[in-house]
Amino acid sequence: MSLLKPFSKLPSLNTANILLVESEEQFQQSLADVLVEETAFTVNVRLAKSLPLPKENEESRPRIDLVVFIINLTSELSFQSAEASLKYLDPGYLLGKVCFMVTKARNTSVPTERLDAVRKLAAVLSCPLLFAEDQTPDGVTNARERLLSILKVSAGLVPMATALYLSNLTRCTVPPDIDQPSFD
Amino acid sequence: MAAKSNLSGSPDADLSSLSDRSLSSRASNRSLRVAEKERRKNDAEDPFVLALKYFSNVEAGTPVHGNDEVEKNLVLVERAAYSKGLSPEAISVMLEFAMSLRMGSGICPRVLKCLIPATVVPQEAVVRAVAWLGVANIPVNTQILFIKWLLTVFDLIDAKDQLRAIYGFIFNFTSEENLCPFICHLLYLLTRKESVRVFRVRKLLELQSKLGRQPFLLNLLSLYKVFCPELVTLSIPSQLKSVFRNHNLPWKSALTVVQRRNSPQVASSLNLFSTSKHKTTSRKRKHHHLGLAMLSSAVNKEPQTETSRQLVPLVQLHSVAQLLENMHRIELPAQMGSLLGSSLGLHYLDCVQDESALLRLNFWLGYTLQEELLFSSDEGSSQSSEESMQFLDKLLSTQHFLQEGFSSSEAFLYKFLSVWDGSVLRPQILGLLSNIPVVPSSQIGQLLFEPLMQLFFTSSLFFKCGLMESLNNMLLKWLTWHSVYALEDDLDISLNSHTSINMTLSGFKDSVMELVDFVGRLASVGLQLEGCHSLLLNFILDFYTTVCDMFLKYGLPLVVVPPPGVFYPALFATDPVSVDRLAFIMHRYKVNLTSAKSQEKLTKQAFRISRQTFKEFNNYAVFMVNCLWNAKLIQPGMSIQLGEELLLKSNVPEYWKSFDLIYHPAFMSYAVDFHQKCWPGRKDMDLDSIKHSKPWNWYLEYLFNQGYDGLKLFIQSNTSRQLTAGDGQGNSLSTE
Repeated sequence: MSLLKPFSKLPSLNTANILLVESEEQFQQSLADVLVEETAFTVNVRLAKSLPLPKENEESRPRIDLVVFIINLTSELSFQSAEASLKYLDPGYLLGKVCFMVTKARNTSVPTERLDAVRKLAAVLSCPLLFAEDQTPDGVTNARERLLSILKVSAGLVPMATALYLSNLTRCTVPPDIDQPSFD
Repeated sequence: MAAKSNLSGSPDADLSSLSDRSLSSRASNRSLRVAEKERRKNDAEDPFVLALKYFSNVEAGTPVHGNDEVEKNLVLVERAAYSKGLSPEAISVMLEFAMSLRMGSGICPRVLKCLIPATVVPQEAVVRAVAWLGVANIPVNTQILFIKWLLTVFDLIDAKDQLRAIYGFIFNFTSEENLCPFICHLLYLLTRKESVRVFRVRKLLELQSKLGRQPFLLNLLSLYKVFCPELVTLSIPSQLKSVFRNHNLPWKSALTVVQRRNSPQVASSLNLFSTSKHKTTSRKRKHHHLGLAMLSSAVNKEPQTETSRQLVPLVQLHSVAQLLENMHRIELPAQMGSLLGSSLGLHYLDCVQDESALLRLNFWLGYTLQEELLFSSDEGSSQSSEESMQFLDKLLSTQHFLQEGFSSSEAFLYKFLSVWDGSVLRPQILGLLSNIPVVPSSQIGQLLFEPLMQLFFTSSLFFKCGLMESLNNMLLKWLTWHSVYALEDDLDISLNSHTSINMTLSGFKDSVMELVDFVGRLASVGLQLEGCHSLLLNFILDFYTTVCDMFLKYGLPLVVVPPPGVFYPALFATDPVSVDRLAFIMHRYKVNLTSAKSQEKLTKQAFRISRQTFKEFNNYAVFMVNCLWNAKLIQPGMSIQLGEELLLKSNVPEYWKSFDLIYHPAFMSYAVDFHQKCWPGRKDMDLDSIKHSKPWNWYLEYLFNQGYDGLKLFIQSNTSRQLTAGDGQGNSLSTE
């Protein structure tokens, strides 16, 4: 079992590396296409279906600054796969270098329990939980913007801010049950 | 889009109606389409009519199993239903067939599932079906399915008077535990003041003691309480957060598809259908699922003098004068949503005391928002997002008109924020956000701050600016409410005229305090992350322009000074506008604090601005005066301390004056310009020569003439200008 480690390699100048993990490989590609268009710094996007990553490329693989788990809420499998992949992540990543991105959250066929489970997972790991509308071009662009703003910090490109600092502000919390009426 | 419409998969899907949307040559296409449709109709009509005939005439007790004829006919009906929807007559026939259990209960759910109306559902059919519910031995699941269907098509039922007439009959079904939630929802839609009776209230209370405080019972009871407060003594939570649960209705998507497809033809067919109605109701609804229905009365016929008071449907009124005359006997429209589209209806809502109208509107709104926006199953289709946008815009303009938000849109917003990606419908959502009424400080964190904080720190600069603006508007609205509704004697305010939420002054102060603190946190870290971007800084200073005047402008005895994370970036900003705005804000703070202090002395009132606030303000003011005026950067006893050696190490010559009015990066260009104008002949530039008392006064005049009024006000109120630059110590406020 090989762990992915956040600090085992040296960073390169003005470069940020992002790893998109999605078991269904649907949203990954379109997101990667827009992510690399960033011009202010070099963005390297690595795609994976699940963790652990294969051993053979380990030497050439750059330091990963941000791991994004993309979860399609309409599929239980997608959630389970992300959950299983988490085991192959060095705990150091959980200090602000992991985030969850959820798609299709506003779908009627999504059981509320699954959304709650994802929230709970993100809250336990103190990671941010982002929602994305993967069907529209605007939604994809917006997802890119949001990932880049986290990536910039976790790759150390924003002065005076660290990944841990940002994740303290953005981490998910288990939400209150607003469906329940509050009885006075 | 083509792919989407083909989803129904039926062979006679009206493909031509697609092409006319995409192609520009509509006219030629249209005639083709009409001809083709005629042909198709003739082909398809016969078997379909025959199938209907079969279902209306079939003998009771005919076996279903192995009966090919039933299968064949049912498939025909289903195909027609999913492609074009069923006509009112067909609905009648099929509903009657299913509910009478003529062929047993097995086939019943299948028939119910394909009852998708093309235009309207005839009321008679529904009443008959409800009657069957009492007579026939229908399995519970099928009963539930039927009620769910009824809830889905409720807005499409052509009139509701007969349904209301059997209110008592429907009410009896509440005793069936499984049906109860759905029946309650139906009753909620049907209830009028006349329907509320003591025995019904008693029955509901009995059910509540049996089933516990179920939301559906509470919702119905709260409606009863609005109509007849004397009958319902139960205390009901002031804000029920949930509407009836989303039943995940199986017909919804099919209905939407059919209605979309039918939309061009609906108006005309409705015209034919509704000859008995008066003209204004003929175009009963637009068949966009989020389109607002036209005003239509709940009763199908001309109002008669049946009871002692005659009701006037809103739709018959055309001017404000008429509205005022009939104010006491307005009959609300059948579908409350139509009020949003009618300005008279809004006037009525605005001045009427009776809460039921608002409650019904709120209910309808909450349900619609949840169904159509929160869970839009066909997300991504541009048409639906366009519709949502228009709908929310309408809602926003209504809220602007009424000057208050709806509690249902508030509840929707909280849910939406927790799954929002930050870009879908952004202007509308931010608009709704700025309209929400004051949130109690105990809940504000969880409901608003948690989701907003995550969105803020992970989104782009423009989102940050947008959110800042929206929060500023929210604060402005809260403060305006306060200044309008605050009663002078006791410091209680009712937050808006309709709901009964009352808030004590201290509760309100707490909420405002929470909001200002929250924005302070967002602003400090946001500025840090964005490298003190001047656009963001401007939006933040907008917010503090509101905050600094809370006491004088809105009469709220609360002063909150900005956190250091906002103050110092603004003071050291490289653009003069930001520094000028900060100076203006500091000036207003001073005016507010001085007047609060004098008022305190005058009236000996209990409210006090805390010493800490005075101290913080004084620190800022002294620092600012020292920095800009006295050219002393760091002084002992100030709020920020920097080691002298450290500053010397930076090798900046005479570092202490690098932020005075001459050397400040925002003003240096003005100093240079002034120098050139003042001494045009001089070859070598010596900015220090501006410091002498005469040029210094000229320089100040020059700066103020550039339009920096904030700076002018600040310097005039905080320094004594006749003194020379050296010892113009700020006469800042004392803390007593």
